[in-house]
Amino acid sequence: MNGAKKIVLAEDNSMLSKLLKFKLEKEGYSLFIADNGKKTIELIEEHNPELILTDIMMPFVSGLEVISHVRNKLNLLTPIVVFSAAGQEQIVLKAFDLGATDFMSKPLSPNELVLRVKRLLS
Amino acid sequence: MNTYRFLIDYFNDSPTIIQATWIVIGLFSILILGLILYLKYLRGHLRKKESITVAYEQEYEAALITYLYAGNDEEEISSEQQAIIDLLKNGAKEPFKRKILIAVLLKLKNEISGEVAESIQNLYYQTELVDYALSRLSHKKWYVIAKGIRELKQFQIKEAYNPVIIHLNHPRPEVRKEMQLYMVNLFYFEGLTFLDLLETPLSEWDQIQLLEILQKLENQNISNITSWLQSSNDSVIIFALKLAKIYNQLEAKNEIIQLLHHINKKVRLEAIDVLSYLNVLEAKEILKTDLQKRSQEEQIAVFKMIENLYENDDESFIMKYIHDDLFEIKIIALKILKRINREKFCSLKSESSDDSFLRIVNFIENN
Amino acid sequence: MGDPIIQNIIELFHYLFFIFSGSAIASYLVLAFISVIETVEYKRKNSYVNYKEIMSSDSAPSISIIAPAYTESLNIVENVRSLLSNHYVNYDVIIINDGSKDDSLEKLIEVYNLVQVDYLINEQIPTQPLRNGIYKSTNPAFEKLIIVDKENGGKADALNMGLNISNSEYVACIDVDCLLLEDSLQIMIKPFLETTDRKVIAAGGVIRIANSCVVKGGKLHDVNFPKKLIEQGQILEYIRAFLLGRMAWSRLNGLLVISGAFGLFDKKIAIKVGGYDRNTVGEDMELVVRMRAYMEEQNKIYKVAYIPDPLCWTEAPDNYKIFISQRNRWTRGTIETLRKHRKIGFNPKYRVLGLVSYPYWFFFERMAPVIEFVGILYFGILIAFNQVRWDYAFALIILAYLFTVFFSLIALITEELTYHQYKKKGTGIRLLQIAFLEPFVNHPFILYAARRGNFDYYFNKKKKWGEMTRKGMTKA
Repeated sequence: MNGAKKIVLAEDNSMLSKLLKFKLEKEGYSLFIADNGKKTIELIEEHNPELILTDIMMPFVSGLEVISHVRNKLNLLTPIVVFSAAGQEQIVLKAFDLGATDFMSKPLSPNELVLRVKRLLS
Repeated sequence: MNTYRFLIDYFNDSPTIIQATWIVIGLFSILILGLILYLKYLRGHLRKKESITVAYEQEYEAALITYLYAGNDEEEISSEQQAIIDLLKNGAKEPFKRKILIAVLLKLKNEISGEVAESIQNLYYQTELVDYALSRLSHKKWYVIAKGIRELKQFQIKEAYNPVIIHLNHPRPEVRKEMQLYMVNLFYFEGLTFLDLLETPLSEWDQIQLLEILQKLENQNISNITSWLQSSNDSVIIFALKLAKIYNQLEAKNEIIQLLHHINKKVRLEAIDVLSYLNVLEAKEILKTDLQKRSQEEQIAVFKMIENLYENDDESFIMKYIHDDLFEIKIIALKILKRINREKFCSLKSESSDDSFLRIVNFIENN
Repeated sequence: MGDPIIQNIIELFHYLFFIFSGSAIASYLVLAFISVIETVEYKRKNSYVNYKEIMSSDSAPSISIIAPAYTESLNIVENVRSLLSNHYVNYDVIIINDGSKDDSLEKLIEVYNLVQVDYLINEQIPTQPLRNGIYKSTNPAFEKLIIVDKENGGKADALNMGLNISNSEYVACIDVDCLLLEDSLQIMIKPFLETTDRKVIAAGGVIRIANSCVVKGGKLHDVNFPKKLIEQGQILEYIRAFLLGRMAWSRLNGLLVISGAFGLFDKKIAIKVGGYDRNTVGEDMELVVRMRAYMEEQNKIYKVAYIPDPLCWTEAPDNYKIFISQRNRWTRGTIETLRKHRKIGFNPKYRVLGLVSYPYWFFFERMAPVIEFVGILYFGILIAFNQVRWDYAFALIILAYLFTVFFSLIALITEELTYHQYKKKGTGIRLLQIAFLEPFVNHPFILYAARRGNFDYYFNKKKKWGEMTRKGMTKA
């Protein structure tokens, strides 16, 4: 899949990540999935994706740390979309402070996600 | 044979205690053997169960994904989807598999909204899982009923309203709680009508869960909460006060002010907090007058309110408290003074020689 | 022995020994029985509870995790990170660096972007003063972290500083190298919030042994059964004590001990009774007893709750030297606590606490090793005087041994039926093996340590905490 835009997805719910992978790959993107923050950073450093989708509540290295790492340590401008459970405004605000590009609250609408991904990668 | 005879004689000749000892030794030996075998069996059984569970999980997860994306462009069910429905329906007949299937459906449904969520919901009906849940509602054991209600809540089965509402005053709190969560989850604010009839206490745990559900939805038209504010059930009052805060119920101001003199301290504390949040200045005046008669916790709460709602006129009032015994009050009084009258605040430093007091004043000045 | 009076006295002692043993055995069985019932009920009530809602709620009460640290440099950064990744929303982490002489503070400052901040402490409990001060992070991702660097004062002193500093309603006092599972706070706070008819003042959790377990990034990835017999023996011991003992005490509302490794307390009451006692090595147990005594004296209805779920994993001693030192300390802690609160013992004013918990703890925890030791000495004397009827002794010893094995097996089966933490193949055999070996492998050392503990308590006032060299959990 040369030329396919690469997306790193950090999500520890295997069902959800399978669904999103299916949907996004159908749209022609190339997906790399991690189920924790540390692995996410490894994938980002290895594949240099065009977009990062990350859940905030993840074991150990949280989504917030991922954002911080990408913006401050790696100095990348890759668009980052965070998912958060409802009612976590505080964390979402912090995510934006750290440099997140967009956020979507769970429960997610997969169609909406695809639209936003397309918009951010166009 | 000789040994055998010898042992029997030995046994018979021993004192009763020793006889009893040997009998119990025998018993224990048998029991221990039994337990060892059981333990081995149990571990093997659990291991097998787990690997089977994982296998079914993966099967159902794959099936679900296929189902979701095997649809036609028309509304009907494609043959591929029908095959999956039949597969799952068959699986649902066994309680073990049913549990796994429900867990897989929920794993996705909880994270997703939109047409995918609806599809999962349809699947819940098509595989007849809903019938199993409904039948649990009339079970004898309370934990079965509770689980049934919970499942119906998770899949948003509104039709179950009647069989669920019956359990309004079920003797077990777990069942009542599930019923309440069902009501609020599916019918939002209207689901709270059970508060009118609730005689048992609503624990903080319950309240938090209910509030979390309510807060997920914006722009609700809520009806009058005044009747709840006057309930004979104190926990209902407290819950209603929390609702007043969330929905900015300034209309209920007067009733809430009444509650400042309620017999239950927790009610009074919650009322102070809400009135502060709603910026009700007249409450501040009322509380200033009878402050001394209130408990320490209430005094601190009142000061937090004053910190939020202070006016210049309050200066003489708070000057009385800058040396109060209660640390929290002293701090707030000084903070407010700094904002109202900075000069006077700074002059305090020269007026006092008490080290700990000065330490506090300096800290407040710099932060 | 001719003298009839001496004969009678000796016989009396024999009877007393028998009664003691008999009641010890009976009490174990009763407690085990009650524990099993309580665990079944607990699982029924909680197997389907959704903790997710309370996790994201800001109306959930505030909790401060307080973790004293002394010379923890090896793992401090990872431990802190693990504590920060808990799924609760409304909490903060207060690490008290108790005058460590190593580079713990420097490491933390570097990794977590810490700066010193001004902080006004409400000194409700007197403690040793601050040393380098209080630090917070400039990185919003680490907003929940507060590091306190103070002069050395011991664990109790450090905890008290934490109590002074915390602005939360509840405090979770833990050992800094404890691995807390991500939903532990939600699960532990539940009894405080769902009990309506009484005040819950404290909640204790189960301590699981993390030796040989694989911890990746602050998360427990793999539960392994360790190879050393001493570690295996402790696991068995903890399973017995936690699954078949504490659950029963919780149900009877007589729980005296909350492990210092993980306990959740109502902060106001903890401060009200004066915080932790710096003059005892058993400060965790002593605080619980004092809080309970306070509530009894105030005639309030209260409860000390207990959560059987495995939420906290920590390292246990893996060599006999440290093991003995630890058990020695526990013995002295028990003695100190029971002596300090002796007015509770057998005092009807203190209800279950005074009439059931205290006597039980006194006889079957504090006195048991002493009685056992005296028994062994007596047996030695009898051997010397050729007074032993060896076949009877043989029978009784076998009986005692079989009872122990029986009880351990019940504990193991209960563990399989409830939490089934040791899933791997081959562990079953090793569990069985240790059930048979533990009386030989660990018990003698425990007895020795208890004997030393008694001796040290009465004759050696200078002993304090001792060291436990950090080995670190197996990292992948």
